[in-house]
Amino acid sequence: MIREEGRGQATSLIPASEAARTSGYPGIEAKMQPSSPTPDIVTIGILALQGAFAEHQVMLQKASLKRRVVIVLVRQQEDLDKCDALIIPGGESTTIALLARLAGLLEPIREFLKTKPVWGTCAGAILLSRSVEGAKKGGQELLGGISITIERNGFGSQVESFEAPLEVESLREANRPFHGIFIRAPVVIGLNPSPTDPPIQIISRISASLLPTSQTAVPLDEDDTDPRDSRTIVALRQGLHLLTTFHPELTKDDRFHEYFVRECVLPTLSSRSSSPA
Amino acid sequence: MTTPVQGQTPVSTPPVTHGVGNPAGTPVVAPTRSKTQDGAGGSLGTFGVKSGLAQMLKGGVIMDVVNAEQARIAEEAGACAVMALERVPADIRATGGVARMSDPHMIKEIVDAVTIPVMAKVRIGHFVEAQILQAIGIDYIDESEVLTPADDEHHINKHAFKVPFVCGARNLGEALRRISEGAAFIRTKGEAGTGNVVEAVRHQRAVMSEIRKASVMSEEELYAYAKDIQAPFHLLKETARLKRLPVVNFAAGGIATPADAALMMQLGCDGVFVGSGIFKSGDPAKRARAIVQSVTHYNNAKLLAEISEDLGPAMVGLNIDKNLQGGHLADRGW
Repeated sequence: MIREEGRGQATSLIPASEAARTSGYPGIEAKMQPSSPTPDIVTIGILALQGAFAEHQVMLQKASLKRRVVIVLVRQQEDLDKCDALIIPGGESTTIALLARLAGLLEPIREFLKTKPVWGTCAGAILLSRSVEGAKKGGQELLGGISITIERNGFGSQVESFEAPLEVESLREANRPFHGIFIRAPVVIGLNPSPTDPPIQIISRISASLLPTSQTAVPLDEDDTDPRDSRTIVALRQGLHLLTTFHPELTKDDRFHEYFVRECVLPTLSSRSSSPA
Repeated sequence: MTTPVQGQTPVSTPPVTHGVGNPAGTPVVAPTRSKTQDGAGGSLGTFGVKSGLAQMLKGGVIMDVVNAEQARIAEEAGACAVMALERVPADIRATGGVARMSDPHMIKEIVDAVTIPVMAKVRIGHFVEAQILQAIGIDYIDESEVLTPADDEHHINKHAFKVPFVCGARNLGEALRRISEGAAFIRTKGEAGTGNVVEAVRHQRAVMSEIRKASVMSEEELYAYAKDIQAPFHLLKETARLKRLPVVNFAAGGIATPADAALMMQLGCDGVFVGSGIFKSGDPAKRARAIVQSVTHYNNAKLLAEISEDLGPAMVGLNIDKNLQGGHLADRGW
């Protein structure tokens, strides 16, 4: 069920005229297809209930993207209804979930997840997971959408927060490491897609030496088809959705934002606009 | 002073591109000053992860709690973090005496009770209390004027710790002095335990007004202004360029109602601390939740009206004058 990113992707939205410019990007040039008519504007919502939403906003405004992006700060359902895609920022997952429920956004976002791309960073990654370990007493509400189990504060308290370079081969300029900032970060402790779920693509892993010692002592899952420990996964995709346990919005590097728009958001727009024709 | 952490170096402030010029509609965010590292190893306790945690708390409410039960109420009400302390500021004011760091056992009980970050207070300048809190794995330390100062001249060298610090400030100079000592997070120094927001408003307005002034100054004027407000020049210059403090800035002191919290947000704060205002009120759980909502929807007056309904009695407020019981805490800090 699990395959590494960069092989067998369905479509690319890079117009053929730009082939020369993009041919330096690994994994893309082999998948060129004639471009289909796509809307010029893409509306990306950022869930703005609590946390680092302004950082995502700044990053999207600065990012070099192939479409004009309109940013909507989502606090109510009418904001969400305008969006082609949604980013759930870092923050406190319990706080964001409560505010989403009080604002009547939980069910609308769950519906949104069925048809539109969503990217969760850190707390957003927890909310996108189907189940969570280390939830607050009495459990906590999740949005679901990605069939993994995630452990909150998997590395420990703030004194265990760290920065580490990441190798991400599907980003542009992939030979330049991406600077990962992990703050009370969650840890992916199990991949459990059902046969009907889209496959999970692993986008990036950290070096196993960075895992907390208490974590590495745990043996690998018996049924984990991946030869390596799921705990080293720090970025993954399933279907339309992207999940990162670290904070690209805290860097000055826009490559993950560009990746989300290019790989997750634009393909859904082209299929929508081309399917009636 | 001994350095409890190996391999820590003071963090310099590289040029920052975020928010420069602030075109309309662009939010201005405190930049992350992460340490770029080569090689495979990770790095713990960088200024990037310290200020980054504060960025994750933005738009949230940090609540004072004195035991695990209150901490659970705060978590259920949507607090983004809790501040563990033995007595809320209103009680410190009423009982007097020397206020110190809380019992580590009590703090650990609170850490075990909740999943959100736990902060705790140390006395100004008391770096051993800070070493103890770092050793028990606390998430953030407040070097706080609410406790009795342990040093009447020096603050803690906060660069020497892996755990991040928040400090209070009444004006821009004080804020930048704290940041230069390593604080990754700044808050106003409203009079704690009074339920009176006037001092927090004064501090926030002072900081914003000084930033606006600095933002139109020439470099020569900035040199003179740095001297005048006793701030390090490089931090003042960065602040002038960003048109905001270079770290996250919360309101603290005297916030008792959802309207108080929304007021501080509209004055430019990134979030709020609520001390005595919750557990000294008639219905703590309901008021706590209302304040959490008011910080998210601070610009939506219609929603604020709904949120503010039927919260029961707020904490009793105190007038801030020369007869204030417990004295003026904001004057502590140098």
